[in-house]
Amino acid sequence: MTSDNSVRVARSRRPAASAPAQEPSRRRPSRQYPRWTPYAFLSPFFVLYAVFLLIPTVVALWISLHSWTGIGPMRWVGLQNYVRLFSDQSFQTAAVNTFWYVAASIFVIVPLALLIATGLAAKRLRLRDLFRVTFFLPFVLSPVVVALVFTILFDSQAGLVNSTLNILFGIGPVDWLGDAVWAKVTVIILLIWRYTGYLVIYFLAGLQSIPPELYEAADIDGGGVVQKFRNVTLPMLAPVTAFVGITSFIGAAQIFEEPFILTKGGPGESTLSIAYFIYRAAFTREQLGYAAAASFLLFVVLFIATRISRHFFGIGREDRA
Amino acid sequence: MSVTDVSTHTTPRADRPHPNSPGSAGGRGRAARRALLYLGLAIVLLGSVLPMVWAVSGSFKSIDEIFAIPPHLIPKHATFANYVTVFTDISLPKWLWTSLWTALVSTTISVIFSTMGGYAFAKFRFRGSQILFDIMFSSMMIPVTVLVIPLFVQIAGMGLGNSYVALILPWLAPAFGIFMMRQFIVQAVPTQMIEAARIDGAGELSIFFRIVLPVLRPALGALAVWLFLTSYNNFMWPLIVIADANKYTLPLGLNSLTSAYTADYGVILAGSVIAAIPTVALFIALRKQLISGLTLGAVKG
Repeated sequence: MTSDNSVRVARSRRPAASAPAQEPSRRRPSRQYPRWTPYAFLSPFFVLYAVFLLIPTVVALWISLHSWTGIGPMRWVGLQNYVRLFSDQSFQTAAVNTFWYVAASIFVIVPLALLIATGLAAKRLRLRDLFRVTFFLPFVLSPVVVALVFTILFDSQAGLVNSTLNILFGIGPVDWLGDAVWAKVTVIILLIWRYTGYLVIYFLAGLQSIPPELYEAADIDGGGVVQKFRNVTLPMLAPVTAFVGITSFIGAAQIFEEPFILTKGGPGESTLSIAYFIYRAAFTREQLGYAAAASFLLFVVLFIATRISRHFFGIGREDRA
Repeated sequence: MSVTDVSTHTTPRADRPHPNSPGSAGGRGRAARRALLYLGLAIVLLGSVLPMVWAVSGSFKSIDEIFAIPPHLIPKHATFANYVTVFTDISLPKWLWTSLWTALVSTTISVIFSTMGGYAFAKFRFRGSQILFDIMFSSMMIPVTVLVIPLFVQIAGMGLGNSYVALILPWLAPAFGIFMMRQFIVQAVPTQMIEAARIDGAGELSIFFRIVLPVLRPALGALAVWLFLTSYNNFMWPLIVIADANKYTLPLGLNSLTSAYTADYGVILAGSVIAAIPTVALFIALRKQLISGLTLGAVKG
């Protein structure tokens, strides 16, 4: 049941899959179209793809094995950049901060999105579309715009957040952007605001694809809301949850704009993310080899994590990648 | 009102208990739950829109009013001064224009290339198709951060640094686009239609343009909105590749305001509001396509 519902990739490519009618040419010895036709259709994509994706990925690895300022000769240093990363205090800070961003995405944003989607899926809910569209709206705004607006909202002197807290609860001004802990919290609040509604639509689509008979069966068995959620909703949503979890993980691990604009990575390096660390090393400190090593390390971690979670949750199982 | 909920006559009609549910206690519980549900959703709604509403309102306020205590949403002395500044003193119109046309060009080209590629994967059997598909698919996991450094080197090496071409060129082949279009084409385009056209003697290109593309209109819309949003909102790549303030995209320009107009938050808010208009309008117009396109890969195909 779960594997049937999992992310469907290349499903029809399997001979036994649901749509045999799509592969008639299998049965026919002679094609009705010139042999090169599919390659012609693919070529514009793959030429660009090779030049601007495959080659750069390999080049990134190559650069990471050198010491290079971007101009002048490259000096081969082998794995030295990688070794250096592990003892670099800033990199460790960036890794820990990024860990917090990822943790917030997976343990706050994803559950919150699931909760909201469950609410939106309620029968006979009025204004469902209004809710859905409004929750999604923050995601279409430019991250720069969002970060700028939040900078003003969270201004320590007289931002809306502090003045509201003061009026409602009499809480003294919180130094949202100037304090090491609060700055991280502010970045996370911004992430929650921006991404929760985006994930809601995935969960909502998943919820709507659950056959209503399952809930009716649970009704007959006398299952309450909680039981229904635990025994029907959660297992049926497992593939969507895995997809959303991995997507959020990959996205959160690469956060850049939010700390860059909100706090310039500060105070100190308290909001510095790995992507920001890479940007800073490459383009303000001119350590391209070192930055490339950091980005390759991030790539490897993401790749392994994705593979592991795919293995456990079975998403993309049918792609045989 | 049905007989079963006589005792819960205060319950609004729409909140009537499910016919299966016995007794009035259950009915009242249901009504309470429903009220709680609306309350919860209303709070989330408020949380979602408040920063946006506040930004719009702030863009019509003077700096003193933005930070007035107690804060108020409706400006007491509404002013267009911030918008005047944005349009006259700074190059916002130029940034906006750059963002719009580069996003349009890159969206158009990549939608065409993605659709052609997706069509090949969906409707043809050919040597190497599985390998090509696997390479394409697994690369969706390559983070942009890995690409940024070698792309920068590459673009600079091609003599394209600080150019509009550099903004567009590297992003014309999104693997996500191929994947999404393939999924759509498998579902939406009947193979018999293509074969019938072949038998009638139609060429492969005219089949693609006359038969496949028209059927795909909603899918093209979905992919186009997504790619437009991505390009228009992109920040890191323009930041790296564009050095000349004259060639800034809108996000770069807005970011540059933070140093030039540190104190004048009203101007920054006015710029942000203008920057948000195209994406919000596009989203509202094409939200159905966008949402169905996004969820296609994640949920049942």
